[in-house]
Amino acid sequence: MAILDEPIKEVRVLKNYIDGEWVESKGEIVDVVNPATMKTISKVPISTKEEIDTAVQAAQEAYHDWRRTTPLARSRLLFNLKALLEENFEKASRIQTQEHGKCIDESRGESRRGIENVEVACGIPTLMQGYISEDVARGIDEWCMPTPLGVFGVIGPFNFPWMIPLWSIPYAVATGNTVVLKPSSEVPNSQTFLCELAEEAGFPPGVWNMVHGGRTVVSGMLDHPDIQGITFVGSTPVGRDVIYKRCGETGKRVIAQCGAKNFMTIMPDCDVENTVSGMMTSFFGNAGQRCLAAANAVIVGEDDAFYEDFVARVVDKVKNIKIGYGLDESVQMGPLRDEAKKQNVLKYIDIGLEEGAELVLDGRDFSVQGGLPENCFVGPTIFKNVRPDSRVGSEEIFGPVMSIMRAKDLDEAIEITNANPFGNGHSIFTQNGANARHFQYNVVSGNVGINIGITAAMAFFPFGGLKDSFFGTLHTQGKDAIRFFTDTKVVIQRWF
Amino acid sequence: MTLHTASEGISFAREMEEATAGYYEELAKRFPDHAETFTAYAKANHKFVANVQRTYYGVITDGIEGCYAFRSLEPDDYVIDVELGDDADLATALAKAIKNEETLVAYYKEAAEQSKGVMHDVPHAFLMVAKKKNQRIDELKAQAAS
Repeated sequence: MAILDEPIKEVRVLKNYIDGEWVESKGEIVDVVNPATMKTISKVPISTKEEIDTAVQAAQEAYHDWRRTTPLARSRLLFNLKALLEENFEKASRIQTQEHGKCIDESRGESRRGIENVEVACGIPTLMQGYISEDVARGIDEWCMPTPLGVFGVIGPFNFPWMIPLWSIPYAVATGNTVVLKPSSEVPNSQTFLCELAEEAGFPPGVWNMVHGGRTVVSGMLDHPDIQGITFVGSTPVGRDVIYKRCGETGKRVIAQCGAKNFMTIMPDCDVENTVSGMMTSFFGNAGQRCLAAANAVIVGEDDAFYEDFVARVVDKVKNIKIGYGLDESVQMGPLRDEAKKQNVLKYIDIGLEEGAELVLDGRDFSVQGGLPENCFVGPTIFKNVRPDSRVGSEEIFGPVMSIMRAKDLDEAIEITNANPFGNGHSIFTQNGANARHFQYNVVSGNVGINIGITAAMAFFPFGGLKDSFFGTLHTQGKDAIRFFTDTKVVIQRWF
Repeated sequence: MTLHTASEGISFAREMEEATAGYYEELAKRFPDHAETFTAYAKANHKFVANVQRTYYGVITDGIEGCYAFRSLEPDDYVIDVELGDDADLATALAKAIKNEETLVAYYKEAAEQSKGVMHDVPHAFLMVAKKKNQRIDELKAQAAS
């Protein structure tokens, strides 16, 4: 199979998008490197405090007019955007692969997921309706209506450069708010392209702003009195100790979607062939850099023959995964986003060995298709006999590492799962409905999969998360997002 | 090279459909009495690909396992032969068309079977195309017999 054409052909310095203008930053410029080829594909500014302040001011000024724009008119702009997203679907997908490294199938999936959020937000004229009670006392009526709040900050992660900001922005602007987005400086091209499309769709100046950068921009958002709320996706230490804490101190609404250590419970009555197939994407999709990636496989039962046979089937399938450049359609796993992330995975492989886990597939020994530089690549790795309380078994690795452990029965599997501090996306593979219900009822997890390894909620459902995986109350996507981006104004009325 | 990913499987189907569409276009030129039928077949081939691609682009999410769609599909098992000698008669041309269509049906069915556990709408689209292809095979056989 041929390698698909790269959409980014020239190295350019990316600009901020503020108040409807593309503005050069005065900040330091850093390279954005394609992790598969190690070629610099663009340069991104690390914007200054003044630049984020300017963007927030523009968003604040635009808000007053935007909130008075009718929901139908706001919706029409989202429909325009939706059409442009479809038109540019393949280009957007290839940009993701080029800057992140994920496979083209994964990028197309990410594009589709992002667009689905725009589609849901297009329904804002009905999604944003309030409700009314007539005659709460004779002649007195009362109603409540969702109203926008002002400017919101959206902080994107590196692992889904296109989709994750779209969990928030369509709902924020549909409800009459304005936004300032900070994409990950590791993968800024996807959101730059999205901003170009938003501009083409006709969003008025100041409604949709983007400021590239790092900590200075994030701090500027957190401390700015005109920002009403923040959505964030990233690590637990940053989400909990910086974003959530600071939003509490400054009185901002917050959605902080954080780390994970997802457990997949494998029952002896599972459909083995489909379970093994389902595990591939869950553990190794996006090279494991996904907050819904499975990390631990808990194989239930005391049947040693089943256990050994199951592990052998998994290893047999995993060792044939093709690694390479995601724009090659035959490739099944791309690189990690950068060299530091690869080193982190290698560190955990060492830790696993030190902890006494059995390394049954060594990701340090791999081959990459196409003679690419191996800087960011690591192969899929499988440990078995992993202790749930070990570091490999309990900490987020964010790479293609599967830890296999055993439980004598379903209750023990749930106990092991619930003992972990994270609660993002646990799943069970079984053909027994009673087991499935027992699992979904008792497992402490914001998202639960039954014979589904990736428990990603569709756009019309909230993206859940519990324990150390989520900080906040309401979630991104769907009705939760509408509530997050609006306040409820209650009016009670009588006429003399 | 064994096919594993959804994008590979769909690209391969597209190549086969385009090749057979080209074959039908050639038949339309060579056998003017049947040009209308062959031209319609060529157009339908492009529609088949478009339908499968629309399904793939329309429902693919990171919840369906595009990178692991097929256990192992061997392209060498599905070779389309579109070479037709200068002196080939209609019967020979139809026989080749039937063989090609049967190859495509076999491919779509196997691709659907292998991917049904991890994908859902795309295998259905494959089967729908296979059904249409079977109808075409019947038509081609009837034409060959007449």
